[in-house]
Amino acid sequence: MKLYISSDMEGVAGVCAWEQVDARTPHPEYALYREYYTHEVRAAIAGARELGPAEMLVNDSHGPMRNLLFDLLPPDIRVLFGNRKPYSMVQDADSTFDGAFFIGYHGAIGDANAVLCHTYTPSVIHNVHVNGVRCSEATLNAALLGHHGVPLLLVTGDRTTVEGVQRQMPWVEGVIVKESIGTFSADSISPAAAQRAIAAGARRALERRDEMGTFVFEPPIAMEIDLAKVEQADLVEMIPGFERTGARSVRFICDDYPTTFKAFVATFRLGATA
Amino acid sequence: MRLYVSCDMEGTAGVCSWMQVDPSDTHEYPTYRRYMTREVRAAIEGARAVAPAEVLINDSHWSMRNLLWEELPHDVRVISGSPKPHSMMEGAQAPFDGAFFTGYHAKIGDANGTLAHTYSNSVLYNVSINGVRCSEAMLNAAMLGSQGTPLLLITGDRTIVEETTAAMPWVTGVIVKDAIGYYSANSMTPASACEAIRAGADAAIRGMAAARPFTFAPPVELVIETAGVEHADFIALLPTFERVGGRAVRHVAADYPSAFRAFLVATRLAGAATATA
Repeated sequence: MKLYISSDMEGVAGVCAWEQVDARTPHPEYALYREYYTHEVRAAIAGARELGPAEMLVNDSHGPMRNLLFDLLPPDIRVLFGNRKPYSMVQDADSTFDGAFFIGYHGAIGDANAVLCHTYTPSVIHNVHVNGVRCSEATLNAALLGHHGVPLLLVTGDRTTVEGVQRQMPWVEGVIVKESIGTFSADSISPAAAQRAIAAGARRALERRDEMGTFVFEPPIAMEIDLAKVEQADLVEMIPGFERTGARSVRFICDDYPTTFKAFVATFRLGATA
Repeated sequence: MRLYVSCDMEGTAGVCSWMQVDPSDTHEYPTYRRYMTREVRAAIEGARAVAPAEVLINDSHWSMRNLLWEELPHDVRVISGSPKPHSMMEGAQAPFDGAFFTGYHAKIGDANGTLAHTYSNSVLYNVSINGVRCSEAMLNAAMLGSQGTPLLLITGDRTIVEETTAAMPWVTGVIVKDAIGYYSANSMTPASACEAIRAGADAAIRGMAAARPFTFAPPVELVIETAGVEHADFIALLPTFERVGGRAVRHVAADYPSAFRAFLVATRLAGAATATA
């Protein structure tokens, strides 16, 4: 068994404010929530391994993407660090994996009742649709897994996030660690209880692996992005193949989802320079 | 006659330091932006000594809002501000009877080119089109050429002027200084430079019947060598770009305006890679 884990931080139990997850201007709470975050990843690994040995690749997918604390993780896993990965939160998720977990995930930008909801870069991305489907990070990332034939098995986060993923991918096991009360508050279970629930969820997900499907976007793949600001669209429309469809919107059509995904990464990088 | 003027600043007489051309500088920049504007005015006056000309000036330096209105003829139009989709060639997507490049500088990597760079002095190492290493003048002249517009005049240091007139023998060159390395120059005075530019523009218009558009034959192959690996990492995210080395990317376009826009967006995106990860 070989599993891929993409771990984010906003969907960790208890998290309800940017300060708790901001690694760049560390607030005292970040050090604490970084531990809870690592423990949730550890719990997912432990739960999966209750059923047998599993090779693990963990992709630290939050902020600068170097948050996980090695000392709290099993010594035999591999970890992807650093945030300049061309496939970002799903780097190296190739066809050799039997399945994937998304731990600590959060809602799509624009979701009501989703703590710290955003889609990659909230200052640039206002909305993103692929083939007419409104996408969260989980949607975009699961589709890259799906391109490689890897099923998403488990998602953890707040109720909005988990139920949003399950509407698009009904097979996915979900662990709801909190109920969001708007964007900056949550009614959460404790970190210890969340870790127990995540371990149990990981185990259940693997027990149900035969029921799992892959999520893919069929070509031609049309990505439509609403930018936050007109000046960002001014820049993004210059990406080869992009079409300006409105003052703050662009469209990109191609047949290859990895190309679409990288073009999305280029979009938020480029848009951030406006 | 419709005349297009793209004006840069590093090739202005006397300029030999970034401080003189940095809009945030309060000591030398205010003086040199005036000299820059006067060189543009001299070029327009030289052209108009031969024939009436409708003039579009594209301020093409840094923030692209350097020109001083009060130093310009009242009947010109000016494109100001940045970013612009065609950057130093904004407005030149439409045909003109001819174009002037004033205050231009040598390409990145050139010895004896005052403040030599090609669009960026931090993220690019070399830019080539169809195997030819390009200066801004060459990249921009090919954009003009795609619309049938010939470059008629270039002003700047000896290195850029001689390179451009060698590639485009119909272009009139006005050498306002000889670069002594990157940060020093042996220059004419601003007043003499304006006289020389006025005379050069006059000659350029008189000789314009011999001028031709400068073009690259399609398919247009753009190769960008980046300064750092991190810059190529970002450019490789773009659709249709191919990574051809640790610090090299390649893009092939069916037409030059597409290649030019791809170059501009790649350079912009590479700049974002310079920030702390």
